[in-house]
Amino acid sequence: MLTLAVLIPLLASAVLALVPVRDARTCRIGATAVTAVAFALLLAVWAVAAPTEGYRAVAEVPWVPSLGIAWRVGVDGMSLALALVTAVVFLAATAWPVSVPRARAFYAWLLFLAGVSIGLFVTLDLIVFYVFFDLSLVGMYFLIGRWGHGDAQHAAVKFFVYTLAGSLLILIGIIVLALAMPELTFDMRAIMEAAPVDGAGVVPGLILLAFVIGFGIKTPVFPLHTWLPPAHVNAPGPASTILAGVLLKMGTYGLVRLPLQMMPETFARFALPLALLGLASILWGAIVAYAQANLKRRIAYTSVNHMGYVVLGIAVAGSGLGSEAARQLALTGAVVEMVAHGLITGALFLIAGAFWERTQDYDLANYGGLAERAPRLTLMATLGSFASLGLPGLAGFVAELHIFLGAFGVYPWIAAVGLLGLVVTAALFLNLLRQVFFGELVTVRTGFADLRPAETAVLAGLLALVVLIGIWPTWLLDLIDAGGVLAAPGAGG
Amino acid sequence: MIWALPFIPALAGLAIWAWGPSARTAGAAAGAAAVVTALLALLVGSDTVSVAWSETISLRAGLTPQARVVAVTVALVALPILIFAAASEAARGLARLIGLLLVFVGGMELIVIAADFVTLLIGWEIVGACSWALIGHRWREGRPVASANYAFVMTRFGDLGLFVALFTVFAATGETGYDALGALEGPSLALAGAGILVAAVSKAGQVPFAPWLFRAMDGPTPVSALLHSATMVAAGVYLLARLQPALAGAPGFAVAAMAVGLVTALAGGVEALRQMHAKKLLAGSTSAQMGLMIATVGAGFPGIAILHLVVHAVFKAALFVSAGAAHHASGGFDLRAMSLGRAMPWAAAATGLAALSLAAVPPLAGGWSKEEMVKALEHAGAVPAILVVVAGGLTAAYAARFAWMSFGPGEVRDPRPTAGTAVALGLLSVATLALSFLWFPDIHDLAARVLGAELPEGSRLGLIASLAAVALGVMAGLSMARQPGAAPSADWLGLPRLIETVVTGPFEALARAAALADDRAIDGQDAAAGRATASARGAVAGIVGATGGLSRAASRGGEALSDLVATGPGHVAGRSGSDARKLQTGLAHHYYAYLIAGALLGIGVLLFGG
Repeated sequence: MLTLAVLIPLLASAVLALVPVRDARTCRIGATAVTAVAFALLLAVWAVAAPTEGYRAVAEVPWVPSLGIAWRVGVDGMSLALALVTAVVFLAATAWPVSVPRARAFYAWLLFLAGVSIGLFVTLDLIVFYVFFDLSLVGMYFLIGRWGHGDAQHAAVKFFVYTLAGSLLILIGIIVLALAMPELTFDMRAIMEAAPVDGAGVVPGLILLAFVIGFGIKTPVFPLHTWLPPAHVNAPGPASTILAGVLLKMGTYGLVRLPLQMMPETFARFALPLALLGLASILWGAIVAYAQANLKRRIAYTSVNHMGYVVLGIAVAGSGLGSEAARQLALTGAVVEMVAHGLITGALFLIAGAFWERTQDYDLANYGGLAERAPRLTLMATLGSFASLGLPGLAGFVAELHIFLGAFGVYPWIAAVGLLGLVVTAALFLNLLRQVFFGELVTVRTGFADLRPAETAVLAGLLALVVLIGIWPTWLLDLIDAGGVLAAPGAGG
Repeated sequence: MIWALPFIPALAGLAIWAWGPSARTAGAAAGAAAVVTALLALLVGSDTVSVAWSETISLRAGLTPQARVVAVTVALVALPILIFAAASEAARGLARLIGLLLVFVGGMELIVIAADFVTLLIGWEIVGACSWALIGHRWREGRPVASANYAFVMTRFGDLGLFVALFTVFAATGETGYDALGALEGPSLALAGAGILVAAVSKAGQVPFAPWLFRAMDGPTPVSALLHSATMVAAGVYLLARLQPALAGAPGFAVAAMAVGLVTALAGGVEALRQMHAKKLLAGSTSAQMGLMIATVGAGFPGIAILHLVVHAVFKAALFVSAGAAHHASGGFDLRAMSLGRAMPWAAAATGLAALSLAAVPPLAGGWSKEEMVKALEHAGAVPAILVVVAGGLTAAYAARFAWMSFGPGEVRDPRPTAGTAVALGLLSVATLALSFLWFPDIHDLAARVLGAELPEGSRLGLIASLAAVALGVMAGLSMARQPGAAPSADWLGLPRLIETVVTGPFEALARAAALADDRAIDGQDAAAGRATASARGAVAGIVGATGGLSRAASRGGEALSDLVATGPGHVAGRSGSDARKLQTGLAHHYYAYLIAGALLGIGVLLFGG
């Protein structure tokens, strides 16, 4: 079933690329239907497949046996949660009504990215993981470069160079891990079990560094984040949503799967610097976001802030310090934050896309009083902003609460300083809302149109999930099962 | 069942907002929701119940006797305020206002029933968010929303204290319940106590957080009435009173609580004496009164603080409703332009009653509970006792000044208070009179038993000094009311300006500097042009080269490599951009094929090469 969830979008993408469908609307509806099918398949895995040895719906087809490469799929709680949110974000991105030139190619690339992204989260083979990791760059590169606006070429190249450099480091790490296995294999489960490159020493340290930098670029972690704002600003709305909602998670997911689970002892030795990196991202992202005058840049920098929470949670989870409960909480929080950030920031970037579609202007200073003209948009943006600043009753709070609860038991000072980020994000989102939606309606915006029904429906769907997780997170917390991830053999916990 | 206490008003509020009925219907529905909530608070059992979020975190709620009293008070004080709101506010946005007032009440009830720190935190921040929406209710004007932001950010800063307390308790015990607080010792107890105190103090509008209460005055009057009586500010005092048994042993807690409370009581009193703006005078008074309650908790008498909280909620709500009526009649909040005693004699009588209660003149309710606070602080030593007596004198002075300036004798004017305003004032006046029965020993002993409160013994000297200070204060206040000066040049004794200079301004400068550094130094890109320069490519390449660890040689190698990587796709991208028209969409799959092939080739090379 997982294989189908990957293949159906990929095949549909190929079909869309080859079959001359002229009508943009048909392309959009078709793409939405395909992502809905992928989502349904993942839901079915969740509902039906019982976990065996921690993984559900495991399947394996040999590919290059001599090198130990195979098409291996299977999900644990963490990757299933991320695959599900990936499908939801893609569903929203494809369903979002956007008028793009060359719609057929646009949706073909979106479906391609959907298959690749789901594949990355469900695969259990490192080479397949790496291939999907790189293919996601390719898809996003074309979405930004061909359908972006402003200086899209430059942003796309910068994005590509930066993240490709990161992925090369990851490849080196993967190869070293595989070669160190007694028998050459790229099976993630086997490598986690054996933890072949672990402990003190130069080689594990360097490999860890390679992983941290490689995944850190994708996450992105301060100071490797500067590709993110231009990529977002120039990307079309749905592409930004996918970039923030899905692609950034690949970095943090990789950070858990590879360094944390495959070389736990080395990870624990370097957990403190990583936690400090997370802290730096939290504060820097928030402070720099506060000073941005461009709507999309401001949201983009809050992604740096939020992914900082995730990195902090992961560092705490792998620190080997404090109580086991604290580490589990931190990892649970990190995964919930990935899910929550995908939904919340995904929604916020769609909202930003709605602005571009109407005015081709992201400058906050050119807005004011939009609540008069666009009450639905105001409501959605307010809800999204409060979710992003971590208001209780919404998903972001559940995530940050868990991360900080765990972090405080391990690195109390880092957690305490990181709390300041909560105040800054509150200030920056409230400023944004005041500037754009309240006060007197500026004259140039008298013709601003409110959300259309289709737009409202997509945003309402995303934000309904945010509210659901915020009020009743039990189902998600049970699904994630951080204890299972940390208790994996060799994870030292 | 107990969870219905926050949910009934909150859901009713959301329903009223979504439904958007007429003022009369909205008022009636909201009033009904408040009454149901009050009845429920009275009748619901006192067992603690819990709802599990996960293995580690569960939300717990329960009603202690104190909590029950506050829960009932919140709903009952909200009732006249909702009636007042329905009767006096503009029809535009009224359903939203009344709906959000109810959600706000729900959030407050959640704080009251909370028996663990996570539940508390949820209620605490929901109340903050509701106050944001309520203060910014008139969003078409620029200033209310700015003030709402100010209030939210400042109180959220205080909320961090609650986060710290929660984390400390959890880190030490693995539990999040209030019970776990009792298991803490030494430094962790001190830290948790400090966190709770900071959170409570910021919510209760104490120094140095007091200015947000002034900014909150930009909200509609019913919002101020609710914010300053039974909710929001009251949450801070309630929390301290609720947790006092566990916190009493925390090093420094008692002294810090008394210090903050008494300093705010004095400073707020002075500020209230200077103000010419009716609502700001009352806001200064709220800070001061909450200060007295917090000091009382610090002195070890939480039950007394709760009693005064109830008494204060009733008369302060009445005073705000009066201020709203005066605003309606005089067209503004300037006390010098009011003197509405002849125009609205009944409102004047109600205001006089509430002001006398605030001034702590016997035999009104405020007199009794304030004397109990004086006695409580006598137990803490001579200095607190003297300060509370002085604060009492200030209170009497500004209360008298407010009453005389707003509803003293003046010319007869036409506008009369609406029926809803009259009903609200009437209900609150009756409640003030009813609470005055607390002077009877049987009644206050009963109240103390119900609350589990200890009534302090006081000295005769203290009582005489206190009453003398009240008498002097009333006289001074009346004389000040007759010779009003100019409005003060700086609000809150210049505290907002200090915060601006020390915190807000530097932070904004830091943010701008950081943004610039992010564009220039880290990224190496010109922010304005948003375009790569030669040096920019150098910076990016430098990072790639240096961090890649690909080459130990000088950055040349790295640069060359990253240029190589960059130029390939760059050409492709350049072509796809400039030749976009020529390239038909069908070519997308070519790129796709090329790139997969390229990626596989790269993998192959690296694999076999390695």
